[in-house]
Amino acid sequence: MKMEDMSLSGLDNTKLEALAQDIYSDLVEDACLGLCFEVHRAVKQGYFFLDDTDQESMKDFEIVDQPGVDIFGQVYNQWKNKECVCPNCNRSIAASRFAPHLEKCLGMGRNSSRIANRRIASSNNMNNKSESDQEDNDDVNDNDWSYGSEKKAKKRKSDKNPNSPRRSKSVKHKNGELSNSVNADPYKYNYNTGINYETLGPDELRSLLTTQCGVISEHTKKMCTRSQRCPQHTDEQRRAVRVFLLGPSASSLPDADTMVESDCYDASDGQVLMSRLQWDGSSDISPSDSASSKASTNNSDSKKPKKKKKMSLGLNSTGGGGGSGSGGGSSSQTSLVGLSNRKKKPKLPVPPAPSIYDNLN
Amino acid sequence: MSPAGCSHVNAYKVDNWRQNLRVIYQCFVWSGSAEARRRKAKSCICHMCGAHLNRLHSCLSCVFFGCFTKKHIHEHAKNKRHNLAIDLLYGGIYCFVCQDYIYDKEMEQIAKEEQRKAWKLQGTVFAFGYFSHTRVGEKYSTWEPTKRELELLRHNPKRRKITTNCTIGLRGLINLGNTCFMNCIVQALTHTPLLRDFFLSDRHKCEMQSNSCLVCEMSQLFQEFYSGHRWPHIPFRLLHLVWTHARHLAGYEQQDAHEFLIAALDVLHRHCKGDTARDDNGKKANNPNHCSCIIDQIFTGGLQSDVTCQVCHGVSTTIDPFWDISLDLPGSSTPFWPLSPGGDGSTVNGDSHLSGATTLTDCLRRFTRPEHLGSSAKIKCGGCHSYQESTKQLTMKKLPIVACFHLKRFEHSAKLRRKITTYVSFPLELDMTPFIASSKESRMNGQYQQTVEVLNNDNKYSLFAVVNHQGTLESGHYTSFIRQHKDQWFKCDDAIITKASIKDVLDSEGYYYYYYYYYYYYY
Repeated sequence: MKMEDMSLSGLDNTKLEALAQDIYSDLVEDACLGLCFEVHRAVKQGYFFLDDTDQESMKDFEIVDQPGVDIFGQVYNQWKNKECVCPNCNRSIAASRFAPHLEKCLGMGRNSSRIANRRIASSNNMNNKSESDQEDNDDVNDNDWSYGSEKKAKKRKSDKNPNSPRRSKSVKHKNGELSNSVNADPYKYNYNTGINYETLGPDELRSLLTTQCGVISEHTKKMCTRSQRCPQHTDEQRRAVRVFLLGPSASSLPDADTMVESDCYDASDGQVLMSRLQWDGSSDISPSDSASSKASTNNSDSKKPKKKKKMSLGLNSTGGGGGSGSGGGSSSQTSLVGLSNRKKKPKLPVPPAPSIYDNLN
Repeated sequence: MSPAGCSHVNAYKVDNWRQNLRVIYQCFVWSGSAEARRRKAKSCICHMCGAHLNRLHSCLSCVFFGCFTKKHIHEHAKNKRHNLAIDLLYGGIYCFVCQDYIYDKEMEQIAKEEQRKAWKLQGTVFAFGYFSHTRVGEKYSTWEPTKRELELLRHNPKRRKITTNCTIGLRGLINLGNTCFMNCIVQALTHTPLLRDFFLSDRHKCEMQSNSCLVCEMSQLFQEFYSGHRWPHIPFRLLHLVWTHARHLAGYEQQDAHEFLIAALDVLHRHCKGDTARDDNGKKANNPNHCSCIIDQIFTGGLQSDVTCQVCHGVSTTIDPFWDISLDLPGSSTPFWPLSPGGDGSTVNGDSHLSGATTLTDCLRRFTRPEHLGSSAKIKCGGCHSYQESTKQLTMKKLPIVACFHLKRFEHSAKLRRKITTYVSFPLELDMTPFIASSKESRMNGQYQQTVEVLNNDNKYSLFAVVNHQGTLESGHYTSFIRQHKDQWFKCDDAIITKASIKDVLDSEGYYYYYYYYYYYYY
């Protein structure tokens, strides 16, 4: 049939049907021919066999669909001991701990700079022991979920070495362990021009305030680290700070000797004493030497009988009871001791007193 | 001389044989233009019986057409001693002496070139009306091994064939410490069909000097996935590279899978510089707006934002590229449905928001609805040169090949931070036609109608991965479902891969969905 000669409109349905069928079968035949050519070519060029796989391989890689095992037929949770090598420091790390390790290794975590600074400080001052402690901390904590608990766990471990400067600043939680170390820390924080009082515990504050001016600056909100006679601040200010930081009528005067019996001085009386000391005009209170020495040795004896009596000893500025006018520093010191013994409250242990109290006896 | 050729072609390869052969291919075999096709239809008939079909062959040495089935061409060959003929349907060359089709390297080279030219010509005729991302006209050629490769393959008969019941392509990933979000995204990326094909065919040419190319690491990751190993892979190098290149992401705390995907795609895009397609002149396309790296080709779409002035009805349009769409959910602080009456009554895609669970299409509809910007947000109109109230509408100008949808389940408003756990149902096949920026749709303001000109297959997307989140805002766990081999779904929970049913997938809460353009196929 020549194409030009055909006119479709002249045909009836059956003929159209037949025509359509013809065209359809031609198309199918052409498609099959194409496939034949492909196969023929593949065989002739020699790559037809590439599709074959051996039966073994097929069995190996079949998907398993049973409860309790994954698609490879393996039991869950057997992959606990995988290790990998950190690309940064080339150490072998457990895979499930890799992310936190990498964070510190690259210096990207929240605490990384703090830790790094501590490490620098420790390598400058002290032994290298603290460094190794630091690394161990990473791998001990298994808590994957909340960062908070990781922080706590780390602190617990780090407190094992009380001499390490790596000790954390917030010592509030650690009641029994501060005996030796608080000495080091307050001086450590003198690197800056001031101290942030918010991060220090009451004990540290007390010890600080005995040696420093402590007035909180309006601008920086930090405590002044100059001596007790610093000309920039008045005594009123110093007094006010001590009230503010340590409670009403409070003073931060740790008394190491009395702490042996776990008795604490009353804060209010301490503050009175403090002001008394300030009137004396110097922080190393020499007139109190004799009194302090008397007080420290006589502690256990003098506690009870002195109780009531000392209570009435009003100390100078605060009018705590009838002013007995004992102007001598000595009696005020003893009274302080007595008063502090009275309370018998268990309190935080106080660091060893500065020199003024050493001479109480 | 190729192993599949024969010696008899040598007689043919004289004088200007190449040009002659080209002409034959152009005119009578691969007819590109409509003109050429008409000519072929008219002139290619058997000189002896007048048939059009019956496997018509053309003699290579003279102008003679003869059909194969009736042996007319054989007669001609015997009479004239012209030993070679070409099949007009598929271009194969037949040698009458060998009595078989032969494959000569040089002739095949010419054939391939001519075929490509013809396909390109054909392509311009069939360009789709709306989308320009399909590169019609590039004929897909299957891989063929060279002689050396054939030898190697013959010596190594053990093969791994990826059939439907095969674990190859699946692998668990160890959780490195709160990295389940990364594992889910990696699983989805390794099962993105086009990305997989790109990497498995070694298309990445690395131009970075150092070892820190993320694309190379992705390539390595694909090798690990297809290695057939059964134990889970430890993606520590990937984590290290992503953190090095995307510092803002780094940190041990739990991360959002969506953020990670965007950061990872960004780094991959930056490192793909070596693979940008070269245009016909051989120069690299350096236009930042038209990056043609594989990431952009697959994931980048265009979001059109139309701001219509209420007074003069002038429209100002901007188009922003996007990698995924973040959708609001009902139950969040922002009201889900606009208060305009009667707008969404029609049911498209067989669902209606009035009853039952919210669907993904509901969320999309909300995303593309015209939004009236209140009087507090007047825009300066270019037409009337004054501040007027306006409506804003977002529509899809260019749909990516892989469309990712992210449901905003984590709410961080001023008053509360919580996770919205509303169930959102999502379809296996998604039709994106109502959401594209055609002039008809955007004016409808919610009345969506199918326009007849649009081919129904044009915007159909098929689901291939779903990422889920269990738990709360502060702590939770990501798992994913991925699809392989058309209808097989697998649940990926870090190192544990198990088979899942389609029902499991559709019943899951859903947080991030990956759809790929179903009809992107190779010619």
